[in-house]
Amino acid sequence: MAVFMVSPNEAKRLRPKLSAGLIFVIGMIVVYLAQLGLNMVLTQDAYHLAELKSQKRDLNTQVQIIQEEVDSLASPQNLADAANRLGMVANPASVLLDLQKDKVYGQPKPADPSNAPLASANLVANSALGTTSDFSETTVASLETVSVETPENPAGEVVLTVIPASPTR
Amino acid sequence: MGSQQSVNRRFGFFILITLGLVGLLGIRLVDFQVVQAAEIREKSMERRSVTQTLTALRGEIRDNSGQILARTVFRYDVNVAPKNVAPVIRYSEDGTRTEIPVEQITTELAKLLGIPAAEIAPKLVGDSQYANLAKRVDAETYSAIRELRVPWVYFDRFADRLYPNGAVAGNLIGFVGADGEPLAGLERQYNTCLAGVDGQETYERSAEGVRIPASSVVTQPIQDGGNLKLTIDANLQFFAQQVLADSVNDLSADWASAIVMEAKTGKIIVAAEAPSVDPNDPSASKAQDRGSRIFQSAFEPGSVMKALTVAMVLDTGTADENDKVKAPYSLKLDFPGGSVQDSFGHATYYLTLGGVLRYSSNTATVQFGRQIPKEVRYEYLKKFGFGKQSALRFEGESSGILHPVDEWDKMTNFTTLFGQGISVTGIQMASAYQAIANKGVKLDPVLVEGCLHEDGKVTMQPKQSSVRVLSEAKAKNTLELMEKVVEFGGVGRNAAIPGYRVGGKTGTAQIQEGSGYGRRFAISFYGVAPIEDPQYIVGVTIFRPVGETNSMKTTPVFKAIMQQVLKHYRVPPSTTKSRDIPSGAFGEVEKRN
Repeated sequence: MAVFMVSPNEAKRLRPKLSAGLIFVIGMIVVYLAQLGLNMVLTQDAYHLAELKSQKRDLNTQVQIIQEEVDSLASPQNLADAANRLGMVANPASVLLDLQKDKVYGQPKPADPSNAPLASANLVANSALGTTSDFSETTVASLETVSVETPENPAGEVVLTVIPASPTR
Repeated sequence: MGSQQSVNRRFGFFILITLGLVGLLGIRLVDFQVVQAAEIREKSMERRSVTQTLTALRGEIRDNSGQILARTVFRYDVNVAPKNVAPVIRYSEDGTRTEIPVEQITTELAKLLGIPAAEIAPKLVGDSQYANLAKRVDAETYSAIRELRVPWVYFDRFADRLYPNGAVAGNLIGFVGADGEPLAGLERQYNTCLAGVDGQETYERSAEGVRIPASSVVTQPIQDGGNLKLTIDANLQFFAQQVLADSVNDLSADWASAIVMEAKTGKIIVAAEAPSVDPNDPSASKAQDRGSRIFQSAFEPGSVMKALTVAMVLDTGTADENDKVKAPYSLKLDFPGGSVQDSFGHATYYLTLGGVLRYSSNTATVQFGRQIPKEVRYEYLKKFGFGKQSALRFEGESSGILHPVDEWDKMTNFTTLFGQGISVTGIQMASAYQAIANKGVKLDPVLVEGCLHEDGKVTMQPKQSSVRVLSEAKAKNTLELMEKVVEFGGVGRNAAIPGYRVGGKTGTAQIQEGSGYGRRFAISFYGVAPIEDPQYIVGVTIFRPVGETNSMKTTPVFKAIMQQVLKHYRVPPSTTKSRDIPSGAFGEVEKRN
């Protein structure tokens, strides 16, 4: 390698142009800014993703809570208990209507509470029974009182204005 | 030019030093990037990367209509880090800052967890990072505790098993242990269907614990378990269990069981037992009540066997429905000291096969049955399915006891005709009746319809084999004779169901205790309806009821269950009447009322 001595004029001519330097520096700044922006967006998205995931987990938990309630309400133990509380009695005498042949099979007989095939108390254990139906004869009776007052029902038939939903406890 | 040389030398020196530094950096670079590369990468990954197990969900168990009998849910252990316990800062809606003292948080936690605050308080003291407050809390409690936003409370989530219908079919389903391992029943037998394969993923996270985008790699894909579909009808199963539990309480019996089987398919609709086990809490039941006696307990069936003997007599052509035998109360057998008696004292009868079933006469059964060589009878018993496990291969299933024919002693030769000297399981007896009800063809019983996978594939469908035991005509004839039990039998008539033609057989079996028989019985009723086109078999057994010396108490149970089944499946009542077949004490045809 050799080092040359040059005249001031030549040196002036050889000096790098200011515009090239400016372009270089501005270019660098732009690249850095772009990178920074990209990073910020990515990081923001990561936080957003984390938040959405936590939301999803919360919703899944909600689904599970509701599912367990539905399971419990739909269990035969709860249904049998609720039916008993409403004073319903299973009627073993089956009567079938054949719509095509216009025939009735079987002898219709009213259910006899003293001769019901099922024990009124629940004998099949279920420790998962957390949520139970809350209707009873009294809650349904209160619905009847409302409906009996309806004038367009002169026959005195009981029409429930609302389906006795299942208030849970 | 001396100054030019000195500049050149200094410049060369500078270049040399620069090159040296660059060289050193280069060496370091190679060292980091090549020589130690693997080690460093590993260290850095260790610091940033997290490996997470993706828990596969265990599949559901469903009944024949899709009702869920077992599902997987998440439960949570609630833990605290005592080291970090401090008052909690809460902001109200208007931005007011309140500091909630630890005591108040303790009270709030206690209320949600349902444990006294005094129990929680000591756990919050200390220097450790971990103390457990409660195990296995449900999602509702978990959610409520999270709402409290206490930074030093944290949770461990894990999958757990929930049986929403409790003890309904509990004896069949079985249960899983606290660690999720299946311990009994179908949960265990079909674990390959139900258990999934856990997955695994690795991702990198930042210093704040936030997952770095696009850094996660699933190293092992997750595969959820399949859903097991049973032939059981949960509603009927509940009904039957309820009726049986009532009966066990009423009679102070050891246990009772009931099977409902579809005559034409061999599908088990109900396999109910009392006492039963609630798989949510198996420890609440006695160890002996946690399995399924229908499959696992063999006992001498007693007179329910006579229907099969009558079928053999008819099928071999030994006698027909009009042939009579002399049936005294007690009959001497062809070896010294050998005799059989009927269960009730009576003058000498002349009984047809219909009479045999109706009066459940041991002496008449022996007289008809002994005309068939014992080898032939043994073959029939084998074809009916006795002496071996059913095709279901239920966990711990008993094969019962059917001794090889060359081991039958003089007494066994006769007693097998009326259900002694042979022991059977409930499923075997129900299957034998299924053969009679299904035109003489015995089908393998079915309990599991298959395993449904996520991708819609169905596996583990049973391969059902069938075997003809009786001719169609003789099977039908046997049913007609069984109908006489329900029409005229002293006990049997209590099993009658208004509107339907029902046939069946009672059984009051002695139970071996020590070397002899005890004073309590196994009482049974196995029946079929409707006789003109058999749809269902119902078999009821009550084991060791107190003070019952006949099978009277099984008939209301049979009737209730059969009636419910017929109603549930909309079986139209019979439109035909039974045929007049002799079944009286002197071989006469009796008038129906």
